[in-house]
Amino acid sequence: MWQLFRKTPMWRPRPFRDRYDVVIIGGGVHGLATAYYLGRAGVRDVCVLEKSYLGSGASGRNTAIIRSNYRTPEGVSFYDESVKLYERLAADLGYNLLFSQQGHLTLAHTDSAINGLRVRAEVNQLMGVESRLIWPEEIQRLVPALDLSPRPRYPVLAALYHPPGGIIRHDAVVWAYARGADRMGIAIHPFTEAVGIGTSNGQVTSVLTSRGEIRAGVVVNATAGFCSTVAKMVGLHLPIVTHPLQAFVTEPLKPFLDKVIVSATLHVYVSQTDRGELVIGSEIDPYSSYSSRSTLPFLEATAAHTLELFPCLRRVRVLRQWAGICDMTPDYSPILGEVPGLKGFILDVGWGTYGFKAGPVAGKRIAELIATGRTPELIKPFSLTRFYDDTLVGEKAAAAVSH
Amino acid sequence: MSFLVPCPHCGPRDVYEFRYGGEFQRRPPPTVSDQEWADYLYARRNVAGPAKEWWYHRQGCRRWFLAVRDTRTNAVLEAFWPEDKPEGAG
Amino acid sequence: MDDQPLLGGALRTRLGRVDGPGGLAGLAGWEAARRLAAEVEGEPRIQRLQTATAFGVYEGLLLGVMQGRRLYRVRPRQLIVATGAFEHPLVFQGNDLPGVFLGTGLQRLITLDGVRPGRAAVVVTNADHGWAVAQDLLAVGVEVAAVAEARPELPPAAEALAAAGVKCFAGATIHDARGRRHVEGALLVRLDAGGDPVAGSERLIACDLIAVSTTPEPAGALLAQADGRLGYDPALDAVVPQALASSVHAAGAVTGLSDLGFALLGGRLAGLEAASALGLGGGEASRMATLRAEVEAHRARLRRGLRVRQLTSVPSVGRKRFVCLCEDVTEKDLADAVREGFDHLETLKRYTTVTMGPCQGKMCHLPAIGVTARLTGRGMAETGTTTARPPVQPVPLGVLAGPHHEPVRRTPLHARHAALGATWMDMGAWKRPLLYTSVEAEVRAVREAVGVIDVSTLGKLEVVGREAAAFLEWIHPGRVADLAVGRIRYRVMCDDAGIILDDGTTARLGEDRFFVTTGTGSLEAVGQWLEWWLAGTGRCVHVADVTSAYAAVNLAGPKCREVLARLTDLDLSPGAFPYMAVREALVGGVPALLLRIGFVGELGYEIHAPAEYGAWLWDLLLDAGREHVIRPFGVEAQRVLRLEKLHLIPGHDTDALSNPLEADMAWAVKLDKPDFIGRRLLEAARARGLRQRLVGFELLDGVVPGEGDAVVADGRPIGRVTSSKWSPTLGRGIGMAWIPPELAQEGVEIRIRSAGRLTRGRVVVRPFYDPDGARLKS
Repeated sequence: MWQLFRKTPMWRPRPFRDRYDVVIIGGGVHGLATAYYLGRAGVRDVCVLEKSYLGSGASGRNTAIIRSNYRTPEGVSFYDESVKLYERLAADLGYNLLFSQQGHLTLAHTDSAINGLRVRAEVNQLMGVESRLIWPEEIQRLVPALDLSPRPRYPVLAALYHPPGGIIRHDAVVWAYARGADRMGIAIHPFTEAVGIGTSNGQVTSVLTSRGEIRAGVVVNATAGFCSTVAKMVGLHLPIVTHPLQAFVTEPLKPFLDKVIVSATLHVYVSQTDRGELVIGSEIDPYSSYSSRSTLPFLEATAAHTLELFPCLRRVRVLRQWAGICDMTPDYSPILGEVPGLKGFILDVGWGTYGFKAGPVAGKRIAELIATGRTPELIKPFSLTRFYDDTLVGEKAAAAVSH
Repeated sequence: MSFLVPCPHCGPRDVYEFRYGGEFQRRPPPTVSDQEWADYLYARRNVAGPAKEWWYHRQGCRRWFLAVRDTRTNAVLEAFWPEDKPEGAG
Repeated sequence: MDDQPLLGGALRTRLGRVDGPGGLAGLAGWEAARRLAAEVEGEPRIQRLQTATAFGVYEGLLLGVMQGRRLYRVRPRQLIVATGAFEHPLVFQGNDLPGVFLGTGLQRLITLDGVRPGRAAVVVTNADHGWAVAQDLLAVGVEVAAVAEARPELPPAAEALAAAGVKCFAGATIHDARGRRHVEGALLVRLDAGGDPVAGSERLIACDLIAVSTTPEPAGALLAQADGRLGYDPALDAVVPQALASSVHAAGAVTGLSDLGFALLGGRLAGLEAASALGLGGGEASRMATLRAEVEAHRARLRRGLRVRQLTSVPSVGRKRFVCLCEDVTEKDLADAVREGFDHLETLKRYTTVTMGPCQGKMCHLPAIGVTARLTGRGMAETGTTTARPPVQPVPLGVLAGPHHEPVRRTPLHARHAALGATWMDMGAWKRPLLYTSVEAEVRAVREAVGVIDVSTLGKLEVVGREAAAFLEWIHPGRVADLAVGRIRYRVMCDDAGIILDDGTTARLGEDRFFVTTGTGSLEAVGQWLEWWLAGTGRCVHVADVTSAYAAVNLAGPKCREVLARLTDLDLSPGAFPYMAVREALVGGVPALLLRIGFVGELGYEIHAPAEYGAWLWDLLLDAGREHVIRPFGVEAQRVLRLEKLHLIPGHDTDALSNPLEADMAWAVKLDKPDFIGRRLLEAARARGLRQRLVGFELLDGVVPGEGDAVVADGRPIGRVTSSKWSPTLGRGIGMAWIPPELAQEGVEIRIRSAGRLTRGRVVVRPFYDPDGARLKS
């Protein structure tokens, strides 16, 4: 009980030093998880730079869905490790993350969508991930409020059911990682923007920040929305196009939905938080932009699609809408690891609409890469070089609108 | 309806009438290196600021044109036919 | 547009006399409101939208407006925001007790609802408005037990109240509200210069009503969303607009100053400025300048006269000191959070949920800033504000959705299929017949006699122009330029990464004229792809989408020539009209384009005729085929038939990473051509060897796997089934699958995991049916 009432800072301001072994750019779940796992691996001369407050970017704007029912074996193994890390994370970090593995349903409204889901179900099962195709009768049992009648323009025909999928309190994950890193002596510098990166002879040497220069031999680009901007500091053009992704929440309702519902055909996904709010999102906006202003057409279309699934929500009111910005790669898989020809520059980018799911595994494996100097097998398929030797990892079918 | 894109043929119209065609770039000659070819296929400047882009007026004149748009604010600074500025601005 | 049923805003709720200019002086507030509203109502050029809430300003100055169940989208060229201001609750012990009201809320109860809100009131204020509230309470017979004014001196308005015997305290405020289920009294306390309660100064006043009337906070959310900058102004003790975007104007209390004269003057200026920006006059520059100066002078005068004392919370302890009444967030919750390091307003908000309730933070935004500023010692301005996200008022999903329109595309033959009792399938927006009778019957009809399928959904492009041949040659991996007039060639199209985009046929109708068909779902993309490569090049090539101009059917089967011969004079003999040829002719009197191609693997004619004659032609064909027991067949039978021929369907058998070499279409890729779209990576793919291959397979066990099932080896997925059907012709299950190249040889056994069980298949690389195409060419 004493612990409950003692109020100590989650993380402390630390002096801003002019050198660290490792500088992590980006104080979101990826940057902070990387810092935490670096600390666990004994690398503690580390600082995390965040241009605004912690979790102010994509980490605080995503819809907090966790799942591993991807399409490729590479993707499934990777995200599965993340789900497993998430399952233990509250205990590891000593912080309640409100992780609810309530189950995740991806709906199919067409024959071809069913085939796409079957590909995933098979790959998932073979990789040991719980995931299967289910049909309207079972869907109705799991989600009584869902309209499974032939009334909608595209009636629900089947679903991919992924029981370990669910939702989490995203901000809490960010804060808990920050606390974990802080406890190991890692410096967290919010409101400190990286504005340049120094290199010399193919080696990263420093980061110029809004508060002064930091010398460092390893610099991690763990940004979302601005990973191209940071990469350009070392003259690198990434295979990334940045798009907005929008979401909204409704007023709180009594619990009526205990599954995450996703429909790629209708471009919508719906879940209900512990607070009772419905969190509803859509696919990325159809044009590239760094503007995180919401739009009215998104609100209208997504409301209409939500009501196709749940006509009973007609009178439920939208409380607020927002947008985040997402770095999309051509194959909807991230870019992880070293950059050929530039030592010490580590990428943890290209997280599109699926970055939050992967925070723990990306942090852990990037930390391993830095601590050991060897790229872990799990993240090898996601290297930047795949765009140069034509070995893309096709997750587009599984990632588009499948939050 | 969101921001407006000034189609050179139809005038300012809602962005949702258009298809976004990505940033403007030239197809390199087939003799370039593998690296340069892969850069052409995948690497993008992805500018946070004024960017020259392709747009197609799907629900209007059905023509492709170029526009310079500030990707931070979505303000379209100019829009023109590609043949009118063969060298372009970038 | 106004969210109330009557125009007039807050003025409608004021009983007191106004001292406004222009003949309004001496009127009660509500009377002045009526007078002003009448002026607007009498102006026919002003369209009014009442009970309409502008809930958000979006990019491009787009307004979302809700009126009942209706949603308006309004894109003004000039926007004037006059949304007024609201009071915020004060944080004190017991501030959630029934009987604690905002002053403006009481005024609404009195004037709009005709309710006497209590018997005895204590008014707590730090602004002149509180004194007007006290007057209004008196006017409707509520005893005002006391007025506690937080500012050190009583304002002039206090005199009248004091004269009426009301106890007026300066430099005082409420410490806590007393009562069990309802307010029974207010404990007032004096404040010292630092804003802390003076010990021993407490005084308990009995009352059943506590009116809290604080510095008006501008309702500036729309201005913020319209790219305005809002910030805390210590002189006004409010978050006020500090800069506005062009085309946006503000007037009235939303600017931070509540004064009728100023509102009228500022409103006039805003209106004239908007009008002049629109080029609608608005007065000469000199008059505008004078008016502007007048507004500024008025503003300066008001600011000079303002006496503010910042007051959001009265320091004390207690568990019932609510900052956010929606979310039950207390001052202690905020204090704990700040101690835990959530000392930035944005993180504090996320941690405690302050400002995140259904009122969107209207009630607690300023108190939250005030409490945070005090806790962190940072000051109001430095503490900042949170982002004003739309919607400003909650909007029902049903209003946003409106009546939902999801388009359906029907072919010109739709009614015929319906009459035949077809089962439908969705293909994009199209409705297509999946099945009429049974797959077996429909397949057998095509294989043994004749069948007909509606293929109107195929994309159809006419590509015309002097350079059309050269352009199509360059954009396709296959050859086009050497195609003879009257001939057809299969086409596959790739992007510059060598990935399959689409397939179809190219028919050369003339030297400069091509008829190009695309997949049902890829028409738009293909049309735009061609146009994109043409844009700005000045090439003499024109692309016209003629899809909906034509109805199209595929007449196929060994007897189809006999059926067609009844309807046309065209010489259908194999010599005159061979396989992969195109002819223009009358069919049943209808001008038609006939393509002799064979997706389903039989002698067949794809007949394109003007859409308006589609049903006529369909009837004629069925009639002409009666003798041979012609059958319409649906998509399901077509898929079986083409699978027996191992004809792939892009997007079904291929995905976003498939190239034609690996998809077993090397014959459609001519790497000996000079540069073409896709050449570079296709050449690289050939050089490095194939990484996977699309092959046919037949099943050795009884089970037909699902499309999408995995091909496995050693318990690992090594490939996937893309198509899988029972073949009535062959009497066994067949399919197509992606597998590793080393397995892609005739006869190799593969294992397919289907519904958790393994089933065996045998790789087949040549078409199952008529592998040499003898029937096609017959």
